[in-house]
Amino acid sequence: MKKKLFLVLIFLLITVNISGCWSRKELNEIAIILGTGVDYTKDNKIQLTYQLVRPAAFGGGGMGGGPGGGATMNQNITWVVSATGDTVFDAQRRLSQQISRHLYLGHNVVLILSEKLCRHGVLDVINFFHRQPLSRGTVWVMATPQEAKKVLESHSELQMTSAQAVGFLARLRTGYVLRFRDFSQDLASKGTNPVLTRVELKRLGVTQGPGLEKAHHHQEVVLTGTAIFKGDKLIGWLNCPETQGLRWLKGKVDRMGIIVPSPIYSGKKISLEVMKGKTKVEPIYQKGKIKFYLSTEAEVDLIEEQGEEDFTRPEIIKTLESTAAIEIKQRVKTTLDKVQGEYKVDSFGFGEAFHRKYKREWSKLKNRWDEEFATAQVYLMVKVKLRDTGMQGRRASLKR
Amino acid sequence: MFDFFKSKKGLLPDIQIQEAVRLENQGVKEQSWRSRKLKTSLKENLTTLHFILADCHDVVFREFDFAQLPDIRLALIYVDGLADKIQVSNFIMRSLSLEVPPALPKEYKITKAQAFDFIRNRGLCIHQIGETDTLGGIIDAVMSGDTVLLVDGHAKAIINSARGWEARSIEDSKTEAVVRGPRESFVETLRTNTSLLRRRIKNPALKIEIRSIGKITRTDVAITYIKGVVYPDLVAEVKERLSRIEIDAVLESGYLEELIDDNPLSPFCTINHTDRVDKVAAMLLEGRVAILTDGTPYVLTVPTLFSEIIQSPEDYYQRYFFYSLIRLIRIVTLIIFLIAPASYVALLTFHQEMLPTALLLSIAGQREAVPFPALVEVLIMDLTFEILREAGIRMPQPIGQAVSIVGAIVIGEASVRAGLVAPATVIVVALTGIASFTFCYSGTLPLRLIKFLLTMIAAFTGLIGLICSLIILITHLASLRSFGIPFLYPVMPLSPAELKDVVVRAPRWALLTRPHLLGKENLHRMKAGLKPKPPGKRK
Repeated sequence: MKKKLFLVLIFLLITVNISGCWSRKELNEIAIILGTGVDYTKDNKIQLTYQLVRPAAFGGGGMGGGPGGGATMNQNITWVVSATGDTVFDAQRRLSQQISRHLYLGHNVVLILSEKLCRHGVLDVINFFHRQPLSRGTVWVMATPQEAKKVLESHSELQMTSAQAVGFLARLRTGYVLRFRDFSQDLASKGTNPVLTRVELKRLGVTQGPGLEKAHHHQEVVLTGTAIFKGDKLIGWLNCPETQGLRWLKGKVDRMGIIVPSPIYSGKKISLEVMKGKTKVEPIYQKGKIKFYLSTEAEVDLIEEQGEEDFTRPEIIKTLESTAAIEIKQRVKTTLDKVQGEYKVDSFGFGEAFHRKYKREWSKLKNRWDEEFATAQVYLMVKVKLRDTGMQGRRASLKR
Repeated sequence: MFDFFKSKKGLLPDIQIQEAVRLENQGVKEQSWRSRKLKTSLKENLTTLHFILADCHDVVFREFDFAQLPDIRLALIYVDGLADKIQVSNFIMRSLSLEVPPALPKEYKITKAQAFDFIRNRGLCIHQIGETDTLGGIIDAVMSGDTVLLVDGHAKAIINSARGWEARSIEDSKTEAVVRGPRESFVETLRTNTSLLRRRIKNPALKIEIRSIGKITRTDVAITYIKGVVYPDLVAEVKERLSRIEIDAVLESGYLEELIDDNPLSPFCTINHTDRVDKVAAMLLEGRVAILTDGTPYVLTVPTLFSEIIQSPEDYYQRYFFYSLIRLIRIVTLIIFLIAPASYVALLTFHQEMLPTALLLSIAGQREAVPFPALVEVLIMDLTFEILREAGIRMPQPIGQAVSIVGAIVIGEASVRAGLVAPATVIVVALTGIASFTFCYSGTLPLRLIKFLLTMIAAFTGLIGLICSLIILITHLASLRSFGIPFLYPVMPLSPAELKDVVVRAPRWALLTRPHLLGKENLHRMKAGLKPKPPGKRK
C-alpha cells in the first residue's frame, strides 16, 4: 500500500512537470489580444499593433451589468497599442514593458499586414507567429492597403470589437479568405503563390438612434478583395468581382451571387445564387507546352427574375443554365487575364495540380514555374445546373 | 411490586453465578452463566434471575398460582414496554390463574410432573411459544421482548412470543423519493422489515436467516436471499464475513458495512444501502444478498456495483423511453458533478485558449473585479455550498429547508454583488451542487470528496493533471471488488449486453436475464418473446 501511494505521488509530481502548466496565469493577469497588425515604417522598422480588449467593459459582475451585444456609446472596449522594433518580438518586448498584463495571443482573431510590409516581403515577420505556441494557425491573415494600425483602431457596430467583426466576416466567406496555416502552406509551395484577403477601413453607413439626429458616419472594417503575391512579396490587388473569379479558379465556391442577363427579355436580368461549385483542374503537358483544362460544375438557385420567364419549362431552364455558364466563364476569364496576363503569377495552385500529374517534368519546371505558367493555355468548361427556382415556377404577378 | 423485588433482593444465588456476574460486571469475562441450566426450584431460579437482572427496573417478575393445581407456583418474566401487556394478562395469566379449559372433565387431575406439558399444550393462548432450559435462553428471550414463564418443579421455561412495543409506523422513504412506485420503506423493527420483504416475495425460496451480533447489544441481523437465484458461495461468504465480527455493539448497519467491506481503504463504499423495500426486493431478485439489521431502516445489499448510483427504482416503473433519457442525463450529470469545477478552474488558469472568444471575454469581464484566483473563488463557493447543505440536514426540520434555500440565494447573490465571486463561478458551483442531488445521497459522498481533490489538482496542474487524476480514479474504481464482483461491472469488464440496464433502461420484455455475474445460478428472468403483439401476429 505504501508503495502504491508512493507511485501515485510520483505520478502526480511528474504530471506537474510534464504538463507544461507552469505558466499558470489567472484570467485577470492576461491582456487578451483580438487583433494584430504589422506595419513597415519609413525607417524600415517593424511596427506591431495589438488590439487588446478591456475585459471590464464586458459586463463586470458587481459593476451593474454590461452591454449585451454591440458596443455601447462612449465606452472604451478595446485598447489599440503599437510599438516599433527591428523584429516583431522586439516590438512586442517594448509593448510588454508598458502593459501591466501578460500579452496573450491565444485568442487572436486576425493578423493584418500592411501593403508596405507585404511589398517588402512577409517572411521577415511571420516566423514570430509560427514559433509562438499560443498564436494559432486558425488566425485569419489579411493584407491592407492602409496602415494596419489604422485598420485596428476602429470599432464595429454589431460586434464587440472590429477584430471579431472581421473574424465573422471571414467565416461568412464573403471574399476569398484564408487562415494563417493555409497562408504558410501557400508560401512554402512552389506550385502556387499565396494570396491574402484585402481588408480596409471604409465608411459604411450611418448610425442612427433617438437623439442622434445628426447622422454619424461609421467606419467599419470590410473585406474588399484579394492581394496577389509573388513569393512572399505583394505585387497587386484584385477587386471584389475579380476575387469571385479567383474563388472559381481555386474551386472554393459556396454561396456566391451571380447576375446574368435574361436569355429572353433583353435588358432584363436574373439573379442566381451559387449553392455549390467545384472546379477540377486537368493539366496536359505536350511537346513542352502546358495546357490546363478546367471543368467547373455549379449548382445554382434562382433568386429573382426581372422578366417573365416560365421556369416550369425545361428549355427555358436549359437556356438560363447556359447563360449562367457564360457569365461564370466571363468572370473567371477576367481574373485569369489579370493574374496570369498582367501579374504573371500562378495564384491558383495549378502548379500543384501539374506536380501531381507530371512528377518528373515538375522537377525541371518548378523553379521557373511562374514564367511557364504565364505562357500556359487555360481552357474552361462550365456546367451549370439550376437546382431550385424558389417558391415559384412562374411569376405570381404575371398577367394572364 | 416494588416491595416484592426488595424482599427478594436480600437472597443470593449460588456462588458460581455470583462470581460469573461479578466478573462480567467488571468486564473480565463475558456472560459465562449463559449456558447454565435452570434448577427445578422456582425460588432458586428467580433468585438467580433477580441477581442477573439486578437494577433492571423495566423487567417485571410476576408470580402467581396455577389454577389447576394451586400448589404449583408460576412466574412470568418480561420487560415492561416490550411485551404486549394485554396478551400477557389475557392469554397467559388469565388462562393459567383463573380458567379451567372448558373441555376438561371435572375429575381430571394433573400431577405436578405433568404440569409443564399441560401448560404448554393446553394452558396458553399464545400463537408462538418456545422452550429453553438455560439462563442465557431466558435472558435473551426476555431482552428481545418475549415473556418467559417459569414453572415450579421444572427445570425448563416456556418462551411466549407476546411482543408488542411502540414502533414508528411505515412511512415514505426519506432518502430515495419516487413519483411512481411503492412508497413504504423499512422501519427500525427487524420483524416488520422481514414481513415487508416477505409480502413482496411470497415464496419459500426467500430465506431469512437471523443471527445476533454485538456482545452487549445482541442486535439481530437477518441475512436474506432467494435460494435458487443467489450464488451459494456468495451467501457463504456473507455469513463468513459476518461471523468474524466480534464487536460490543451494532447500532446501525453502517457498523457492519465497515467491517465486511472489501475495500476498507477506498473512499468508495462497495456496499450499498437503502431503506426502500422494493429496491431490496429487486436486488434479491437479481441474486444479491440483503443484510437487515435490527434498529435501523437501512438494509445493506451486496454485492454492489458502481452503476447502482445511476439507477433508481422508479426507472423500472415508468415508461422506458423517457427513463432511458434520464439514465443518460444521470451519466452526464455524474461527469458534470465530478469535473465541472475542476475543468472550470483549469480552463480559467491555464487553458484560456480553449474557450470560445466571446465566452472568454464574458468570463474575463465578470472576473475583472474578483480579487481571488479562480481556485480560491471556486473553493469558497463550494465550501459555502457544503456548509449550507450540511446545515440543511442538521437543522431542525421546520426551518431547515427555508433557511438553506434562502441562505443559498442570499449568499450567492450577495457574494456576486460584492464582487467576491464571478457569476460564472456561482453557476458552475450551483450546477455541480444541484447535480449531486440527482443520485442517491450516500453514493455521491465519495465523489464529493474527490471533486474537491480534482479541483485542487486542476488548479495546479491544469487539464493534463485533471486527466491523469481521472485515469488514476478510474484505475482505482476498476480495481475495486464487491464480494468478488468487479465494482465497475458491466462497464469494466465490459459486458455489452448488460449495458441495456445501465446506459439506458431497456423495456421490461427485453430485460430477459439477470446480471450475468450476479445471477449466474438462475439467469433467465422471464420467457423470451413477451413483447406485446397484435392478436393476429401472436403464435
